Amino acid sequence: MIFLTVGTQFAFDRLVRAVDDAVGAGLFKQEIFAQIGESEYRPRNFDFSRVLAKYDFDNYIDSSSGLIGHAGMGTITAAMDHNKPLLVMPRLKKFGEVVNDHQVTIAMMFEKMGLLLAAYDAQQVADRLECLGAFCPVARQSDCARVAQRVRAFIAESIA
Amino acid sequence: MTQLLKIAQSWSGGDVFFVTTSAAVTGGLDKHGRSYVVGECNRRMLMKTAAVFLKCARIVLRERPRVVISTGAAAGCMICFLGKLIGAKVIWIDSITNVERLSLSGRMVRHIADLFLVQWPELATKYKKVEFAGTLI
Repeated sequence: MIFLTVGTQFAFDRLVRAVDDAVGAGLFKQEIFAQIGESEYRPRNFDFSRVLAKYDFDNYIDSSSGLIGHAGMGTITAAMDHNKPLLVMPRLKKFGEVVNDHQVTIAMMFEKMGLLLAAYDAQQVADRLECLGAFCPVARQSDCARVAQRVRAFIAESIA
Repeated sequence: MTQLLKIAQSWSGGDVFFVTTSAAVTGGLDKHGRSYVVGECNRRMLMKTAAVFLKCARIVLRERPRVVISTGAAAGCMICFLGKLIGAKVIWIDSITNVERLSLSGRMVRHIADLFLVQWPELATKYKKVEFAGTLI
């Protein structure tokens, strides 16, 4: 199962429709479940829920074989924490989906690092979906311990 | 907050309190320390911003932190400035969302921060007094 999530705060009709169209046209065969949030578009080719409780949301992430979402850090972090292949489509300002185009930059940076797949417009979604099954995110070493150590050392030195 | 909690080990053992913008964030914080909710605000909401600022000022005066750590945004920025006024050391970690330039609040806090970390190496070369120590993902 592929889990499509667009967050619960803002609509992202463009992505939900693009994925639905790809499935409807027979271009993507895997089962999909979606959390569509405030999106008005109702997918016809897969099941969906508007808002999932956190527990259910986590379960869908866990049991999915891949994720589709916007290029927000919440989605990207969830995919990385659970080591799931991820396809993102950045929200764009010109469609009123977000206040600026920072998601495009984020998608490009993470795509370049081999950590996710990106579709920059609805036309690219079907094509990228096809690659999702075979996509393995590059293995990544977490820096959290190193950053924590840097901050800890600084704190110790500051309050000594 | 998600990014900040990834370095919780950096302050473990210390007396810690949290300031968040919404109660939804506070949910999982109980095990880390006491917390205050000050509410959301931004530049376009003047009255709300003033109310949040007063709440932040009251918290800082009551708690008198020796170190302030924040990833932003508006409320975090206020606590940094207020903390600095009472002599606290200020640590700022700019969110990973900021790839090409620092956040607006980050650009303000940079001038008073004692340690300013970014999560993209390019940003550390672009700004003075800014350090890259790794990413929090």
